[in-house]
Amino acid sequence: MPPTRDSQLLKGVLSLLLLQLLAEQESYGYQVVQRLHEDGFTDILDGTVYPALARLEREGRASSRLVSSSSGPARKYYRLTPAGHRALTEGAASWFALADVVGSVLHRPVPADPIKGP
Amino acid sequence: MAETLSWTDRLRVECLVWALDARLGDLPRRSRIAKRREVRENLRTAAMDVGITTALRNIGTSHRLAQEYRVAEYGDAARPHWIAATVFFLTAQLFLTSVLTEAAVAFGDGVEAADPHATGTYVWNGIGYLQSSVTYTFVDGQNTWTGGAWTPFAWALWIIATVLVGRVWRFRWTRRLRTATAGEAHQ
Repeated sequence: MPPTRDSQLLKGVLSLLLLQLLAEQESYGYQVVQRLHEDGFTDILDGTVYPALARLEREGRASSRLVSSSSGPARKYYRLTPAGHRALTEGAASWFALADVVGSVLHRPVPADPIKGP
Repeated sequence: MAETLSWTDRLRVECLVWALDARLGDLPRRSRIAKRREVRENLRTAAMDVGITTALRNIGTSHRLAQEYRVAEYGDAARPHWIAATVFFLTAQLFLTSVLTEAAVAFGDGVEAADPHATGTYVWNGIGYLQSSVTYTFVDGQNTWTGGAWTPFAWALWIIATVLVGRVWRFRWTRRLRTATAGEAHQ
């Protein structure tokens, strides 16, 4: 996947991506960042992900627990709550609906000579 | 991946963590401590993985990170500035009390300078509407004084000024937003 440069677009879908990643696997902050990078979202910075995780927790969509780490202090692992699962289902449905509509528009061929207005 | 961090790397991590902590003063203490610990642990892990310079670049400045955390905690709505309000209230109290105490002491010194063996009661009216009058009792040049307290009007002005400086009226909006968000999550 080529690097995505539109930070506003990324910010809009970041919560949805985090919900999906946490639904797949309980993870700590840096681990989530690594998984995003592996999926091709190399433009997303650590400093954007950690507050986004905090927001999910505040909104009740994720819960956290501390797990002792061999390399140092305890790590904070996030997992999805039932409210998070519902948000993921609804968010994914909205995203696919939007993507369908946007895709149908963008897939229309662009005429070489645009139709002129009156 | 490196097994451990050098002391200079640890120092750079701590610099970022404490700079962040200083900027998160508006957050509840428990939340601030939790964020400090989490950022420290993540940053150490990242530094061992990609090196401290890249890890610090990826996490961004403490200013931006703190801003993101504040938005995560309180939402995008405008927030009250509790620290600004507190600092203003305490600083104004300290400064004006010092100034007015000096003024009252200067009045006593003036009486004493005029008559080193003054005996009797002298009254300084203080600043009209803002403080009560100060009464000096002199006995052979030695004085004691009472009064000079702030009037209810002065306290009212102070509270209004503190609310304005700290934009405290935004508290209602923030609380409403948090309640709405919590309700939405539990639906």
